[in-house]
Amino acid sequence: MTDTTDEARFRTIFAHLGAVTAYAARRGSRDPDGVAAEVMTIAWRRLAAVPADDPLPWLYGTARNVVYAEARSRRRTAPSEAASAPAPEVRSLDPELDAALRGLRDSDREALLLVAWEDLAPTQAAAALGITPTAFRVRLFRARRRLQAALAQTQSAPLTQLDVEGT
Amino acid sequence: MKTDTTLTRLRAANPVAEVTTVDNDALFDRIVATPAEAAPRRSRRPNRRMLVLVAATFVAAAAASTAYALTHWVFPDVVHAPVSRAEYKRAQTILELPPGYTWPAIDFRADTVMVRGGGGSMAVSIDQSAWECYWVGAIKRGDPAAATRAQSVLADLMTNRISVAPQGAPENWAPEGATFPHLVYADDGGYQFKQRIYAEAAAGKPAGLEQSCRANGP
Repeated sequence: MTDTTDEARFRTIFAHLGAVTAYAARRGSRDPDGVAAEVMTIAWRRLAAVPADDPLPWLYGTARNVVYAEARSRRRTAPSEAASAPAPEVRSLDPELDAALRGLRDSDREALLLVAWEDLAPTQAAAALGITPTAFRVRLFRARRRLQAALAQTQSAPLTQLDVEGT
Repeated sequence: MKTDTTLTRLRAANPVAEVTTVDNDALFDRIVATPAEAAPRRSRRPNRRMLVLVAATFVAAAAASTAYALTHWVFPDVVHAPVSRAEYKRAQTILELPPGYTWPAIDFRADTVMVRGGGGSMAVSIDQSAWECYWVGAIKRGDPAAATRAQSVLADLMTNRISVAPQGAPENWAPEGATFPHLVYADDGGYQFKQRIYAEAAAGKPAGLEQSCRANGP
């Protein structure tokens, strides 16, 4: 039997369902609602492991793993599709930015997006990635530089090379 | 393109800008109807992490003398955790944090290696971010004296504690005769960006300063 205090605690975690759904959608999940439900189920099962004061970084870290598992599963079931989408496919509203983001390492991209899209503070983003805040700051700094360089390259490329969105 | 505009552009390109409040009682009920894991179960199998740790310790012990020799021969400026930790502590006695701020505890793990002076550089970076946030707070609460103080401390840091490495300089480049602690920026426009946001904040346009505090602050 479950304890009512556990349920009360889980309800505060469950309040982040919308944020987790949005996270999954931003990371290119085909089933953001399903991912969020899975994350919440894991949170309930592992309630003791979820930080009580700020569960959101833990939820995002778990959601990331679930989105990756979804992408791996897609690769197994539809190899031809996976050839064009080997990892969770982030799609922003800016085609040039999309191209630059795709060129980044996954860890760099995630560091940037946790701050820019999920609006996490560095300490929260560090917790979501399981690294120290100092390491996160260094990673974010380098990721910004790499994104700037990638954008500069995209902007200086001939226009014919910029048309990569449809591919 | 500068740092601030890159992040601003990234924020503007958020494909799901709004987070809607989802009230899914059915899902909640379904989840809490399943058993929660009370405590981590003890596995009867040998703990794989422990096995890896034992093996790694053995290999590390075997290689330790070689590794030590290599780091001191090939990388003469590389120092280990105790040195960086001591540098960070020493820098705290030299630099001043804004009122209400405390130095974060940094876990210099035993396997940490940094360039000499790196512990001090971290302190300068933390100090700079703290004063930026203090300045933002001073502007918000309308405290011109505190804002002026923050501006002055940051100007001093930029002049005396922060340098820009010349293009092509090695990672451990430091200016001749630099006083401890010292932070070196890469020559990528970051230093000029900071100068610009400080000047803008002083002129009553703190948006860049606020963004920098949000991204780097404690």
